[in-house]
Amino acid sequence: MATLERFGVPATPANYAIWYEYHAGQSPNLQRTIDVLISNQAIFDESTLQELYSTFFSSTKEAQAVRNTSLQALETLQEIVGVADFARDDAHQFGATLRGFASKNLGTSLDNLKNLIENLVLDSKKMAGRSEYVGLRMRESADKIEALERNLQDALRDSSLDGLTGVANRRSFDAIMRKTAGEAMNSGDDLALLMIDIDHFKRVNDTWGHQTGDTVLQHLAVTLQKAVRGGDHVARYGGEEFAVILPRTDVKAAVNVAENIRQALAREPLQLDLEPPMTPITVSIGAACYEPGDPLAEWVGRTDAALYHAKKEGRDRVEFDRVWN
Amino acid sequence: MLNSIECGISEGAVSNEVPRSCLVTDDSAMVRKIARRLLTGLGFNVDEAENGQVALEKCQERMPDVVLLDWNMPVMDGLEFLQALRRTEDGKNPTVIFCTTETDVEHIQKAIECGANEYLMKPFDRDSLSSKLAVVHMLQ
Repeated sequence: MATLERFGVPATPANYAIWYEYHAGQSPNLQRTIDVLISNQAIFDESTLQELYSTFFSSTKEAQAVRNTSLQALETLQEIVGVADFARDDAHQFGATLRGFASKNLGTSLDNLKNLIENLVLDSKKMAGRSEYVGLRMRESADKIEALERNLQDALRDSSLDGLTGVANRRSFDAIMRKTAGEAMNSGDDLALLMIDIDHFKRVNDTWGHQTGDTVLQHLAVTLQKAVRGGDHVARYGGEEFAVILPRTDVKAAVNVAENIRQALAREPLQLDLEPPMTPITVSIGAACYEPGDPLAEWVGRTDAALYHAKKEGRDRVEFDRVWN
Repeated sequence: MLNSIECGISEGAVSNEVPRSCLVTDDSAMVRKIARRLLTGLGFNVDEAENGQVALEKCQERMPDVVLLDWNMPVMDGLEFLQALRRTEDGKNPTVIFCTTETDVEHIQKAIECGANEYLMKPFDRDSLSSKLAVVHMLQ
């Protein structure tokens, strides 16, 4: 269990099985494969874990199983909607079960999901012989289950996204960085990084509260996504810091994109009715290119140094990586 | 071969040892250039091949101690090279380190099955390269 936590792996039965096997040492190939992944600082994302599981355990994938189960739930509900003449009281109770069903996080536990669906089926059977028509309510419930099915898929897909802003999260940024740097090393193409920090963000939180702070972060995320080009990757690096990875881009072009971002923010400021009124949000941006053969941390360090100089020179500006006096 | 492994474990006796040889096999000139720089810095004699076919010919001339091996290459890819190398008489000896952008379980599995000693993911740097070389006792 400690290893699961160390590598940020969700404690699902499948993942537990993988790690149990890894420590138990019954499968040398599984051990060697995981050792390769660990020693290369690979990220144990959903698809890697699924691959490990399906390669070494079984062809049925956990995600597929979860998805199938919730599809079954949907079908059950649709059957129920087809049956007329339900007792209103029972429908009420049934609705409560559905609400319980919808409010629980099902993505992590298959057993839990099975239990809930069993209850659901049981409840629906109880209702089946009753006389009052409650189709409308049932249809509402079916909608809820459909939403649940969507949420479940979103949960599987969006573990790479930042919950607040919807851009790539830090974990997925690290993966994108490795992938694009590997490609740049092969091709010899340029690869640039921008680090973007909101100026005086602490003051925003202290003056107008954290909810306003969150709105500012969301607004910046939207602005970033509009201001960058098609192949660029926007991510929330942490706190009020964002990052953009720009494939096939030299420092000069990266500075242009950074200027675009800065100007887009000035052109379309966040409109909030606040007391005291908020001064326009600005950002400081650092830019630097990857040097193949150098550690990735060194690249981030040079970008951060450029960002630091943008702050030092008075904020609301772009600085690029160079020899500082 | 065995001797050189044993020597590699004891640090300090670097100066009077014969440098180890590494054949960098990659179709990317950029990767070969970086690998040459880093490996030379780590005390290796470096030779280069731009695909598996050329690498195999060079191995038949003289077996290197280490092969740093890309996966996707024209003419003959890394896996074909590895399989062909392991079939040759002295081909069991070289330490083969795959060095690739392929990061999925299937590729890692396949590489291990076919006799790769280690697996290094691109991008690599001095530290990640030298730690892989240390694991296979090839660091002097």
